[in-house]
Amino acid sequence: MKYFQYRKTWLLMLTVVTFLVLAACSSDDANSNADGGEEPDKITAWAWDPHFNIAALEIAKEAYSEDINLEIIENAQDDIVQKLNTGLSSGSMKGMPNIVLIEDQRAQSFLQSYPDAFYPIGEYFNTDDFANYKLAPTSLDGKQYGLPFDTGVTGLFFRTDYLQEAGYTMEDLTNITWQEYIEIGKDVKAKTGKDMISLDPNDLGLIRVMIQSAGSWYVEEDGETVNLVDNEPLRKAFENYKAMIEADFVKANSDWSQFIAAFNSGDVATVPSGNWIAPSIEAEESQAGKWAVAPIPRLNMDGAVNASNQGGSSFYVLDIPGKEKAAEFLADTFGSNSDFYQDLVLDVGALGTYSPAADGEAYQAENDYFSGQTVISDFSAWTEEIPSVNYGLHTYAIEDILAAEMQNYLKGKDLDKVLADAQAQAESQLK
Amino acid sequence: MSKVLKRASLPTASKKSIGRRFKNNYIGWLFILIAAAGISLFYFYPMIRALLLSFQSGMGSNLEYVGLDNYIRLFSDPTFIAALSNTFIYLLVQVPVMIILALFFSVLLNDATLKFKGFFRTAIFLPCVTSLVAYAVIFKYLFGVDGLINQFLLDLSIISEPLNWLSDPVLAKITIIVAITWRWTGYNMIFYLSALQNVDRSMYEAAKIDGASSFQQFFYITVPMLKPIILFTSIISTIGTLQLFDEVMNITNGGPGNATLSISMYIYNLSFEYSPDFGYAATVSYVIVILIVLLSLIQFKVAGDDK
Repeated sequence: MKYFQYRKTWLLMLTVVTFLVLAACSSDDANSNADGGEEPDKITAWAWDPHFNIAALEIAKEAYSEDINLEIIENAQDDIVQKLNTGLSSGSMKGMPNIVLIEDQRAQSFLQSYPDAFYPIGEYFNTDDFANYKLAPTSLDGKQYGLPFDTGVTGLFFRTDYLQEAGYTMEDLTNITWQEYIEIGKDVKAKTGKDMISLDPNDLGLIRVMIQSAGSWYVEEDGETVNLVDNEPLRKAFENYKAMIEADFVKANSDWSQFIAAFNSGDVATVPSGNWIAPSIEAEESQAGKWAVAPIPRLNMDGAVNASNQGGSSFYVLDIPGKEKAAEFLADTFGSNSDFYQDLVLDVGALGTYSPAADGEAYQAENDYFSGQTVISDFSAWTEEIPSVNYGLHTYAIEDILAAEMQNYLKGKDLDKVLADAQAQAESQLK
Repeated sequence: MSKVLKRASLPTASKKSIGRRFKNNYIGWLFILIAAAGISLFYFYPMIRALLLSFQSGMGSNLEYVGLDNYIRLFSDPTFIAALSNTFIYLLVQVPVMIILALFFSVLLNDATLKFKGFFRTAIFLPCVTSLVAYAVIFKYLFGVDGLINQFLLDLSIISEPLNWLSDPVLAKITIIVAITWRWTGYNMIFYLSALQNVDRSMYEAAKIDGASSFQQFFYITVPMLKPIILFTSIISTIGTLQLFDEVMNITNGGPGNATLSISMYIYNLSFEYSPDFGYAATVSYVIVILIVLLSLIQFKVAGDDK
């Protein structure tokens, strides 16, 4: 019996040791969290496009009046969203960056999902200096969380040589409606054999561009109420989309690189897109002088303008040690430095929404790639006209529903039914 | 024969001696304890937390308990139903096709007269070595509008204009099924192949002498002998298909619309694509758990493992 008891003690001790080790591990974690109050010597920033927003951060680092040890980490945008969601929801801010770039249409979802994770930076810069439509998505409950970065103002990029071959000039493409665009597209296809546009059937980005030009969105002003079934601009946008597919001038793509390839290879005649696509177009040097930008087509209805927005993002500061440093850095560069914005435009073609910068020289400069067109000043003029809408929280959830219904619509389902079904689905899903 | 094997592998101990063993083997239990603690900590604890999470709802970190609301929501969620039916289509089409192909290949490769056996085996097994993402991306380009598959079909004049593999709801599903089949057939084949090596050749010889055709040999000797393995692989494949994610994510991203959306991909969307609702995402993931348990039970029943 004694023999067994000895064994039992042994077992007990091992168990105790195991638990001690485990407990030690977990308390270790707790300690390091509590210790996190000290200033880090390094500020990290996450962004996704090496030709665009990462390049902009590099320039900002140079332009900063003080020394900063800024580490810029490139992550795909999807990865940033994923990492933020997992990191912030775990409640531990370990491994989170100081500065992160978030797309405007996603911003509210983050701000409201993780109310304590972000640091309000409204006191560091003057919000009046920025385009008005950028402020709503980047603030919450009267506090400014985001520092607006690029505009996402859209334009209709087109191949002048193809359009000319079909008999169209810049003027024929200026301030047109989407219906006119479709007619031109048919003509271009017939005369040059080139497709008019490249679309990803999964991505309704173009629909969003269309409806914002008429001041509408998937949700109403409050950002919550689903607005699909009685949404006239959306209805028109769907009709246009279907007309494009049926006109047989759409080159399908299924991801970003195929989309880029579609115009870099010279296969499509136009690219209606946010201005951030310009560097990707310019990357194909052999096509220099063959591109121009017209205002984005509008919906054929009252109140629609030839200006819209696609994408566009802003910088956010996370509420972790180093936040003051990070906020000061952003405020000193993106928040107030007009000269810096000139460099930004010249070096990376990134167009900010900082209004005082529009008077600078670089904004008036002619762009050789676009045959001497003053692209930047055109874009900043269109920026002023972008209707402000509240993106709300559910853009991408609703868009997936719409994308599914779009397939039904293309197959011949009645449009009234399509929108009514989408509305019903969205309402049940977004309680 | 399989029954004989199984019985032999079972411990022959009687009840009494098991009881004594229990007392005698504290040290043995100690070893198990560490593993058991590890499994509890890293498997059971998260599972229970996920179960609790599935009763909560809310955006991001603002979660609150909502009872069974999430489970009720499942039934009126068309996206979930679409994901579920897509997954079942993959399951019902892909698993049988793959199992039959794998059986076919393994029987071919088991032929004693076949030359370069090692080469063929490696060739068919090789897809399993590739990374899921890497092969999915390659498939995406193969099946693109300008892809190799379309070029090939055009050159052979099988089709007159390029097919939109990835943007047609039916073709996109076919693409996914072809991709998974390519990736996993070799994996299942290896199981069959190793099981076939254990089948006594004398049975085939006896059958041949009795005048059985190759088909009869296959259906009356090979298939019954492989039954436990077929059951095993079909369960593994079913589980794998229910968890399908990488291929759908990388090849079609769930599209067009949600024609190829899988349940796992929907979980991802709920957590990371939309305003994050981890509670509802956990609920959907529990549906997969329940389905796997149910389907495995059915498979055991159908396969008639009566013990």
